[in-house]
Amino acid sequence: MNRVQGVDVIDTVVFHNFKALRNTSLRLSLFNLVIGPNGSGKTSLIQALQQLRTLSQFPLGDAAMQSRSGGPEIAFTFTAPYSGIVARLGCTSDVLCDFLHVDCLDTASWLEVKCRLATLRTYVLDHDAMAQSSVRADSAVLESNGGNLAAVLAARQHEAPLAFARMEAELLRLLPEFTGIVIEDDSGGRVRFSLGIDGAGEPVRAENLSQGALYLLGLLVLSFDPTPPAVVCIEEIDRGVHPRMLREVRDVLYRLSYPESFGEKREPVQVITTTHSPYMLDQFRDHPDEVVITQKLGHEARFERLSDRLDLPELLREGTLGDMWFSGVLGGVPEQQ
Amino acid sequence: MKVAFLSESPADEAVLRVLVDAILGEPAQITPAGFRARGWPNVLQVLPAVIRHLHFNTDVETLVVTCDSDDSPVHTEAHEAPQYYHPHCRMCQLRAVFRQTSKRFPIAHGRLKVRRVVGVAVPALEAWLLCGRDSDVSEGAWINGQLAGRPPYTRAELKFRIYQTERPSLPHEIECALRETERHRRDLRRLEYDFPGFAALMKDLKSPA
Repeated sequence: MNRVQGVDVIDTVVFHNFKALRNTSLRLSLFNLVIGPNGSGKTSLIQALQQLRTLSQFPLGDAAMQSRSGGPEIAFTFTAPYSGIVARLGCTSDVLCDFLHVDCLDTASWLEVKCRLATLRTYVLDHDAMAQSSVRADSAVLESNGGNLAAVLAARQHEAPLAFARMEAELLRLLPEFTGIVIEDDSGGRVRFSLGIDGAGEPVRAENLSQGALYLLGLLVLSFDPTPPAVVCIEEIDRGVHPRMLREVRDVLYRLSYPESFGEKREPVQVITTTHSPYMLDQFRDHPDEVVITQKLGHEARFERLSDRLDLPELLREGTLGDMWFSGVLGGVPEQQ
Repeated sequence: MKVAFLSESPADEAVLRVLVDAILGEPAQITPAGFRARGWPNVLQVLPAVIRHLHFNTDVETLVVTCDSDDSPVHTEAHEAPQYYHPHCRMCQLRAVFRQTSKRFPIAHGRLKVRRVVGVAVPALEAWLLCGRDSDVSEGAWINGQLAGRPPYTRAELKFRIYQTERPSLPHEIECALRETERHRRDLRRLEYDFPGFAALMKDLKSPA
C-alpha cells in the first residue's frame, strides 16, 4: 500500500451499523479508487469523511458519546505521527452522525490533524453549475459542484500565473482543438470563461462546452492547485470522458497523490475517488493496491482491496480488470433478484 | 506501404511507428487513428474485427500488432515448426487469429489479405527500450529466469528504469520511449538479435505481401 513517510493522511475508517456499512473497515492508501454497485457504500464513505471534516472544526464535546448504544458509529485513525488518535462519529439515527469524540492524549496533535482535515474537499462536479458565471470574489476553493469554476480560474490566473499557465497547457494538450482559456468580466461583479478555439471562430463559452471538457477542466483545476488540500474525494471521475482519455484522467489525479512523479515539489494529496467504468478500472492493472471494491450482499456492504485477491495474476491472464469486474469475478456488481 | 497499428497504448504505438519506418527504410503511410486494445487478452478479442475491418473497408496493406508477453510462455524456435501451435504463446495465438480470420476472405481493394506483422515484447515493451542500454535485459535473460523460476526483473522494474517513476504521465512515457527508440532507429541489429519477438516483427514486415 502506498504511503508517504511524514505525510498525515487518514489511515483507516471503521463502520458500525451505518447505512449498508454494518460492520466493515477500510485502510486507506494515498490513492484510492472505489468501485462497486449502487448503494454499496461508496458515497457513504465520502460522506463520512466530509462529516469528519465538518465536525472536527467545532470544539470537541463531552467525552461521553451521545450516540445510541449499539447505534451507528464511524471511527477514523490517522497515519504517523498521529497514529494514536481515534476520532469517532456518533450517530443519533441510522443515517445522521453529528457527534464527534476524539480519543487523544496529545491535544496539540489533534489540533494539527484538525488543521489538515479543515482542507478536506469532496466533489460531485456538475457541468451545468460549472458553466455558470460566478461572483469574482467567490474564489477561495472550488465548490463541491464546481459552481464557482469561473471565479477560481480568474483568481488562479491572477494570483498563481505560473500554475495557471501549466494547467492551461495541460488542458490544451488534452483538448487540442482549443487555444486557451479566456476569462471575462460579466455583469454584477461576476466573471465567466470561454475556451478559445482553433481557427478564426469565436471562443466557445462555458455553457456551450461539452460536459467532458468541463469535467476535465474541473479536475485540472484541482490537480494544479498550488496549495492543494490534504484529502480530496471526487465522485465518478470517468463522467463525460471518452474511454481512451481515461488514462489521462487517471494521470491528472495521480498528479495530486504522486507529485514527485510529475516533477512537483509539494506534499502528496490523499485521493479517494469512485467510478462505474470498467475502462477506468483497466487503468489500475499495475496498481491493484489502489483499488477498493465494495461488496454488497443483501442489505450489508463491505470493503475489499483488490490487491488482497491472491488469484489476481491468474485472473489477469484471462481478461482485463474491467472485464473481470463486469463479469462478476471480482465481485462489486449489483445483485440479481 | 499503408500501415495500421493495433497496440496497447499510445506510447507503444509511437515507438512502433518509429521502428516500422526504420525497418522499411522510409516513412510508412500510417492510418490516422491507431487501433487500441485494453491489454491482453483484449488484443486477441478485437483482432479479428480489426482484420476484417481493414480488409473490407480500407486499402491498408499491413497491420502491425504488438503486445507484451507478460509472464506467458515465450515464442521460441520450436514454435516455428510446421503445424506447431502453443496454446499459451501469444505469438502463436496472434498468428492463428490472422490465419483463421483471413483464410476465406475474397479479394478486396486489390489484395487477397492484409499483411500480418506480429511482434511480442518479452516481457514488456520497456525491455525493447532498454535493449543496448542495460545489458541484463534480453529475451534470453527472461527465458533463463523463467526456467529457473526467478525472473531477472519485473515489468514494474523495467518501467521504473525507463521512466524513473512507477506512474509516468503519458507525455513523459512517450518522451522517454521515443528517446530510447532513437538509438534503435539508427541501428536495429542489437534489438533484432536480443529480442526474437522483435526479429519476428521485422521478418513479417519485410516478407512479400
